[in-house]
This record gives sequence, C-alpha cells and structure tokens, in this order.
Amino acid sequence: MLEHALNLGAYLFCIGIFGLITSRNMVRALMCLELLFNAVNINLVTFSNYFDTEQLKGEIFSIFVIAIAAAEAAIGLAIVLAIHRNRGSTRIDQLDLLKW
Amino acid sequence: MNIIKSTESLHEILFLFLEVGLILGSLGVVILTNIVYSAFFLALVFVCISLLYLLLNADFVATAQILIYVGAINILIVFAVMLINKPQSFNFFPSWTTGDGITCAACTGLFFLLITTISDTSWSEIYLVTQSNNIVEQDLGGNIQRIGYLLLTEFLLPFELLSIILLVALIGAITVARREKILEIRVKSQALQAKEDFPTS
Repeated sequence: MLEHALNLGAYLFCIGIFGLITSRNMVRALMCLELLFNAVNINLVTFSNYFDTEQLKGEIFSIFVIAIAAAEAAIGLAIVLAIHRNRGSTRIDQLDLLKW
Repeated sequence: MNIIKSTESLHEILFLFLEVGLILGSLGVVILTNIVYSAFFLALVFVCISLLYLLLNADFVATAQILIYVGAINILIVFAVMLINKPQSFNFFPSWTTGDGITCAACTGLFFLLITTISDTSWSEIYLVTQSNNIVEQDLGGNIQRIGYLLLTEFLLPFELLSIILLVALIGAITVARREKILEIRVKSQALQAKEDFPTS
C-alpha cells in the first residue's frame, strides 16, 4: 500500500511536469501545477500515515501546501486575466512581453 | 482476524478504483484539447485524491482537499476558462511535435527512475528506525484534535504567516485583475494632455 501510494505520487508528478512543459494554454499550465502540488501532498500524507503516526507533521505541512496552492491559483488566474485583456490571447509561446 | 482481512481486501479494491480514476483523470487533464473537459477531469482527480487521503487515515486533509481544491480552486479555474476561452476547433488529438516527444521520453524516464528507487528502498527498516525513535507517546485523542493542538502550539508562527500570505494573495489578485483599466485611462489622459500641449505636431 505504501509503495502503491508512492508510485501514484510519482506518476502524478511526471504527468504534471509533462503537461507543464508541453501545454500551450496558460490555464492548462496552472492545472498541471495543481497536479504537481497534489503529487507532493500525496507523498507527505503517505509518509505521515506510515512513519509518523504520533506527530502528524506531514499532514500539517500538506495543509500549508494546500493553502499556498490556493493563493498561487488566485494570483496566477488574475495574471492570466490581465494578460488576456492586454494581449488577447493566453498562449504561452506568444507571451514575449519581457523578452527584450 | 477475518474482519481485518476483509477490510484489508476492501482497502485494496478501493485503492485500485482510485488508482484507475487518478490515472485516467490526469491523462485527460493533459491530453484533451478542449480545456473545459480537462478542468472537469481535474475535479475528478481532486476527488479521487481526497478519497485516497481518507484511505490513508487523514480525515482533516481529505476534507480540506474537497473544500479548497474542488470547491475553490477548480471553480476558479472553470470561471477563468469561461472568461477567457474562445471556441476552438474540435480535434481530440493535438499535433505532436518533436519537443513533445522529447518531453514525453524524459518524463517516462523520470517515472521509471522514481519507481525503481521506491522499490529498491527497504521501507521496513526505516519503519523500525522511526518506531524506535517514537518513545514518547502523547495521546491527544483523534486526528483532528491532534492537528489543531499542533497548529496552535508548535506551528503557531507558520500558521499566522500563512494567514498573512492569504491576505496578500487576495489583495494582489484583486489589484492585478483590475489594474488595466486605470492604466489605460491614465495613458489616454496623458496622451490627450500631450496633444493639448503641442497642438501643431
């Protein structure tokens, strides 16, 4: 069960990285970022359940990660909205505002 | 003994279902071209992960996962998709470039590396070491009581800093999302003023 959960976390992490690199839409990139956070959270909760049943520090850290992810999603979607209003598109490869 | 065995097998079956849901859902998030579908698949992935937390005896984190991810973040993402998305052509499989192939190869390599590392590590020895270190037993009741106790004693400073971060993120999101109009008005007024200053040019 432990190794299954860890394998699941590794799978989610790899899928998230793949989507984050290859996606052309900014909103989809944010979704894949959420997948990455969830993979990390699965690992934290799994280790906390199997190795640290008395202290539960992994669960507390995963709560912190969830809160940071909520803040990150709000800021990221606000930036996407602003860029969409400015440039008229949300494609990542067309965002060259800071290039030169 | 019999009851324990049956609950073990029940756990295994539930875990298999969750595994299938997670694998298919995350593949749907990445592969599907219509972004609304991938947002809904993301909701499926979040729900499966929260059920996985329930199986791992983490009630509070499962509840927080449902409330924050499915209730807040996913709704926010769907809202942004509705604001931004233009209707696109429906082709279910996007064009596959060489960069995508290289990234896919690298990610599968990373995945197999992680899997071999996980299967090579002897978890039972680590378990014995951690159990021998846990001599001091403090029984504070259930899961949620212990988390609340730890949050307000040992992790008090990170907890308060987290609330400040959430406040800053709230204000920052509002400012970023509505700054554009003010800037535009200011630029227009400056342009008008410049025209009034130099009417001949």
